[in-house]
Amino acid sequence: MKKITDEISIRPVEDGDAILLKKWLNDPKILCWFPMINEIEIDDSIRIWMSYSKMGAGITALYNGKPCGMFNLYIQPFKKIAHNSLFSIIVDEECRGRGVGKVLIEEGQKLAKDVFNISLLLLEVYEGNPARRLYERMGFSCYAEQKHYVKEDGKYLSKFFMQKKI
Amino acid sequence: MSLENFDIRYSEEIDLLFLNKWASQDQVICWLPFCDDREMESATNCWIGFSKFKASLTATINNVPCGIATLFLMPYKKVAHHSMFKIVVDPDFQNQGVGSSLIKNIKHLAKNRFKLELLHIEVMDKNPILSLLFKQGFKQILYQEDYFKDGDTFIPRVLLEANLMEDV
Repeated sequence: MKKITDEISIRPVEDGDAILLKKWLNDPKILCWFPMINEIEIDDSIRIWMSYSKMGAGITALYNGKPCGMFNLYIQPFKKIAHNSLFSIIVDEECRGRGVGKVLIEEGQKLAKDVFNISLLLLEVYEGNPARRLYERMGFSCYAEQKHYVKEDGKYLSKFFMQKKI
Repeated sequence: MSLENFDIRYSEEIDLLFLNKWASQDQVICWLPFCDDREMESATNCWIGFSKFKASLTATINNVPCGIATLFLMPYKKVAHHSMFKIVVDPDFQNQGVGSSLIKNIKHLAKNRFKLELLHIEVMDKNPILSLLFKQGFKQILYQEDYFKDGDTFIPRVLLEANLMEDV
């Protein structure tokens, strides 16, 4: 456990965090920014997320001792692309606006650089996701747009590719 | 296409042997993200796994495989209307129309069997297949400078897209 502020601390992801991850992903206000749409898909994505956490690539943030968000690096299996990594981040709706996302990204960035020797962090953000402003404030820049990436109820959304050299 | 006894069929798991043989050759592996046999086998095992969904096509000459193109179908519904694909052609049969035929057929398979609207392929910059992809209607939608690293050299990645709804 590492104390970041009086309220926020972080630790490596633990197996039990999968239950919280599922709870957060089941929130429609969160799920809409992920590619999954139902419980089967959510369970599949959690299995993948937790498989990276088992390799030490995940951190959990706690607010006043209670888990409130997670960060995961999808570390690359091949040497030619091992210097870059996509990451996912999720914050409990109840803890939004308290600096948890910022802490998770800062600490995740340190994990990426210091433990996995990553020099390029990648992020994929759907059109309309309000978190994009936070990513831009934290130094991520958008370098491409993939139109029509998401299709839901006949409507399409773009995906924006963001990156930061660390 | 002037090759005699050329055919295209659905890929079979046994085609993995050919995929590994081609991908391990220097003039092929240099354009792929993996750099040794262990990485290659991990990738090609995943690759040929899509054959069980009939999402992969193998080109043959005299019933011997000479190229494979595969749709990497998306696992989630919200993004299932598009897919990445990968292609490799036996170096002995490159520049003879095998790749061109495979791309035409994989686009047809994507659109008509899997009802895909968009098809994507990610390649290293300067990969000779780029000109063929442009001829086949693919357009560049992403160029990222430092994505691949071979030794100390960074190689950009290029993401291309074909809109299958525009294909007749």
